[in-house]
Amino acid sequence: MTEDLQEYLLYADGVHKSYPDGRVHALNGVSLGVRDTEFVAITGPSGCGKSTLLNLLGALDRPDSGEIYFRGEPLSTNRNLDAFRARQMGFVFQSFFLLPTLTALENIQVPMFEGERLSSHERKKKAEELLELVGLSGRAQHRSSQLSVGERQRVALARALANDPALLLADEPTGNLDSDNAARVLDLLATLRLERKLSLLIVTHSIEVAERADRIIRMKDGRVLEDSAAVSSKAEVR
Amino acid sequence: MHFMTFILRNLTRRPTRTALTILGLTVAVSSMIALLGITSNLLSSVLSSFERRGIDLVVQQAGKSSGVNSDFREYLVDEARKIPGVKQVDLAVVNLTDMTRESGNVEQVLIQGWRPDNFAFEDLNLISGRKFGWGERHVAILGKTLADNLKKKVGDTIVFSSDTRNVYEVIGIIHSNIVFEDGSAIVPLEDARILTHSQVTAFSVRVNKSSLDSADAEVDAVRKKIDALRDPEDPSVGLEARTPADYVSSLTHLKMIRAISWLISVIAVVIGVIGLLNTMAMSVLERTQEIGILRAVGWPPFRVIRMILGEATIFSLAAATLGTIGAAGGMYLLTLSPKVNGFIEGGLSPAVIAEGFAITIMIGLIGGVYPAVRAARLLPTEAIRHD
Repeated sequence: MTEDLQEYLLYADGVHKSYPDGRVHALNGVSLGVRDTEFVAITGPSGCGKSTLLNLLGALDRPDSGEIYFRGEPLSTNRNLDAFRARQMGFVFQSFFLLPTLTALENIQVPMFEGERLSSHERKKKAEELLELVGLSGRAQHRSSQLSVGERQRVALARALANDPALLLADEPTGNLDSDNAARVLDLLATLRLERKLSLLIVTHSIEVAERADRIIRMKDGRVLEDSAAVSSKAEVR
Repeated sequence: MHFMTFILRNLTRRPTRTALTILGLTVAVSSMIALLGITSNLLSSVLSSFERRGIDLVVQQAGKSSGVNSDFREYLVDEARKIPGVKQVDLAVVNLTDMTRESGNVEQVLIQGWRPDNFAFEDLNLISGRKFGWGERHVAILGKTLADNLKKKVGDTIVFSSDTRNVYEVIGIIHSNIVFEDGSAIVPLEDARILTHSQVTAFSVRVNKSSLDSADAEVDAVRKKIDALRDPEDPSVGLEARTPADYVSSLTHLKMIRAISWLISVIAVVIGVIGLLNTMAMSVLERTQEIGILRAVGWPPFRVIRMILGEATIFSLAAATLGTIGAAGGMYLLTLSPKVNGFIEGGLSPAVIAEGFAITIMIGLIGGVYPAVRAARLLPTEAIRHD
């Protein structure tokens, strides 16, 4: 097992998760791994446990049993998951969740308070670079209400990259976007993955998103139904 | 972006609520600072007047709560004068007495019965007229505030007691640094004795001091001898001598004023805490999802606590600043009111302002701590799902 773990950036080993009353078993012994720079899509019907799995893999929650490893180290022994998330994980959500009182430039700086020690000037400079990376330099001083939905998701993407994470986790990142904006965000994710050597783990219902992944993991009833290369799974996704 | 910028942006999100919260807190803080200021000014003005007049000991009847209800024979003053080390003694009769206005209304005013050589005259600023001399009767020197309130000038008359035949001629107007004195009338000792039915209510003592180092010991030695004096006609009547600082802090009515000020201040503080708590709790509830995002991107609970407490502290600082200005303005307006301007002195000392700021920041921290802890305990996954 130890040798296998070294192969993965992130590995879930027999993870179980139930919700407080104990009646809903969201995950029943899920095992899967994400390698460095790999793009993995998780698909499945609503309520199959995709988002719960994403939360556990992103260290937003802890499993009831089983273990999650990051670069071979178990997360259960990590006493500071906040710092771990801040430095290793980037999150993108379907509803963007930009802070409405802040400009695009300021939103990107929010995670930087917990990243490497940067002065406010350095934070601003880095945020400007990220904004440029997502093609929104001209929208730096706009608040989220002044941005289109596509622009908001690109700002959210830039925010997710604020602390140069190793893994970017996205929950339906194109779920609220029209096809043009969705394609643009997916192109951007592909570019960022290559340029920044990012691993991507995306929960999606979208065929277009899953088609771009290296692997597709199909889930049902809290279990992994299938874990296969994307090309062979396209039909299954459909 | 600085962390403080982030905090400020949260406050400007709902400007009306922020303004109303600050306003509510300002009213509470302003009342508190004004009350503390009035009390502090009262104490310090009385104390500073004693110091300015070089008074080392203030003597009144033992067991009495203030000079007003103390009363003893002049014999004891004469005995005190004989004590070695006593340089000068000045007796007085101080009490409230009735005064009949020209309209026929009867009000109470503070009168002080002095002899013409009372050394307190040294510290008074005679604005107009003159002091009274030996043997003069039925004359009065009015404090400026009282004279202004009664619209009296030198040459006018004033009626003490409810007997309209008890007419006194106003022969002088003085300004004193003691707010009480400015609102009082000074009359010859014998007249005051008749008006108040008292013989001596208090006397002040100046002590001969050989050096600065031994001054306290010399004053204390005189104090002990005065305390030991007894009236042979009624041995139960003795004296109690205190240093001006001890005397001021022992005055029951000043203690009561102080206690009432604190009581009202505590009520204001509680109202402030509840108001702020409500605002911060609402604010946290509204931002549950955002707090979830902050936690998701790696903010630890402590940073969330800092954020909420930072917002509460800014509310407090704004309220403390506006409250101080409001209190100073309110006190100034009160000093213009004829009903109270003989008893209230305007202005806020740095100590009172510092006390006000400290209490207000404490209000902020107490009001903010529960919402802050609640926000910090939110699980990111649940907070993000919150609708």
